[in-house]
Amino acid sequence: MGVTCVSQMPVAEGKSVQQTVEILTRKLEMLGAEKQGTFSVDCETYHTAASTLGSQGQAGKLMYVMHNSEYPLSCFALFENGPCLIADTNFDVLMVKLKGFFQSAKASKIETRGTRYQYCDFLVKVGTVTMGPSARGISVEVEYCPCVVASDCWSLLLEFLQSFLGSHTPGAPAVFGNRHDAVYGPADTMVQYMELFNKIRKQQQVPVAGIR
Amino acid sequence: MEAPPVTMMPVTGGAINMMEYLLQGSVLDHSLESLIHRLRGLCDNMEPETFLDHEMVFLLKGQQASPFVLRARRSMDRAGSPWHLRYLGQPEMGDKNRHALVRNCVDIATSENLTDFLMEMGFRMDHEFVAKGHLFRKGIMKIVVYKIFRILVPGNTDSTEALSLSYLVELSVVAPAGQDMVSDDMRNFAEQLKPLVHLEKIDPKRLM
Repeated sequence: MGVTCVSQMPVAEGKSVQQTVEILTRKLEMLGAEKQGTFSVDCETYHTAASTLGSQGQAGKLMYVMHNSEYPLSCFALFENGPCLIADTNFDVLMVKLKGFFQSAKASKIETRGTRYQYCDFLVKVGTVTMGPSARGISVEVEYCPCVVASDCWSLLLEFLQSFLGSHTPGAPAVFGNRHDAVYGPADTMVQYMELFNKIRKQQQVPVAGIR
Repeated sequence: MEAPPVTMMPVTGGAINMMEYLLQGSVLDHSLESLIHRLRGLCDNMEPETFLDHEMVFLLKGQQASPFVLRARRSMDRAGSPWHLRYLGQPEMGDKNRHALVRNCVDIATSENLTDFLMEMGFRMDHEFVAKGHLFRKGIMKIVVYKIFRILVPGNTDSTEALSLSYLVELSVVAPAGQDMVSDDMRNFAEQLKPLVHLEKIDPKRLM
């Protein structure tokens, strides 16, 4: 996977989530991007059941189990500031077996779905983030496929982001952080999505009707 | 760069329950060659395959009486292979006529940071060992003949010592639940290995 930047696009003043997504996709199409199917990324949250905490005396940790349609046969499991495990889809079956030890936080499933665009060497995914029936925000993922080292192509990615996000262009993602020469991988993208979903979860609900 | 050729919905929560059917036996070291020779004749024609694996068994203790057991296995001689995480359920009791031990099993291939991840989940390593041996296949049946080595210094797989003067022989099949014909096929195959090795259904509870 090439170096990827995942960010949130704020909803435009006086417009709905869906309208803002349409404005963004129209800009992309005018740039010359081609629609190439759809994508979805989802995230389920688990916390250690009270019974396992017992003698350990530590606060329960949150574990996120995520899927990405770009890697349909894989499952990503991660802890905040902790390791990210990449496993095959049988991991979901294992989580069912671990029901007694890890409980799914109520109504915690959050996902983003939308269209996938290809523009030369860039892959752009604009999605609507939903929790249950309500739309909560917009996610924008941009991948520069030929490069796997963040420090080598961040400036190029930034320029491309500015061309269609304008003033909403994000700063360098935290995952690029210290490891300047480390090879970028899918786990880094999932960490970015997890941070985005957590941010959106904490935000006030978007005060417009959900998409119909 | 095209979208992956699958449906938009990611695969979540497999509904298929896979069961492992198992028969076990053992042979003393000096009988190994004759057993390998017979297996080579009976099994599918393929390059003789040997393996050297390091397995760690992790436990998660909760308020339930029995801890949750997970087995993490990695290959020591095939660099780049994924780690193998395995959950094995309690053996299914019931049908005394069933020839093999049947238990629920979930097999997951994972990335290399499996042990760190399991520790973060709250699992603690109970024990570990090294398994070295041979692998054969006949259709869906898998036959492994291996020796278990005790690890003398935790974490150091170089200093090991053999646990016994014998090799463990296991005949297993992983198949969807409800396919009891599988155990008949296994029994028929096991018959052909007599008297070199007697493979039978061994109830782990009876050994404790």
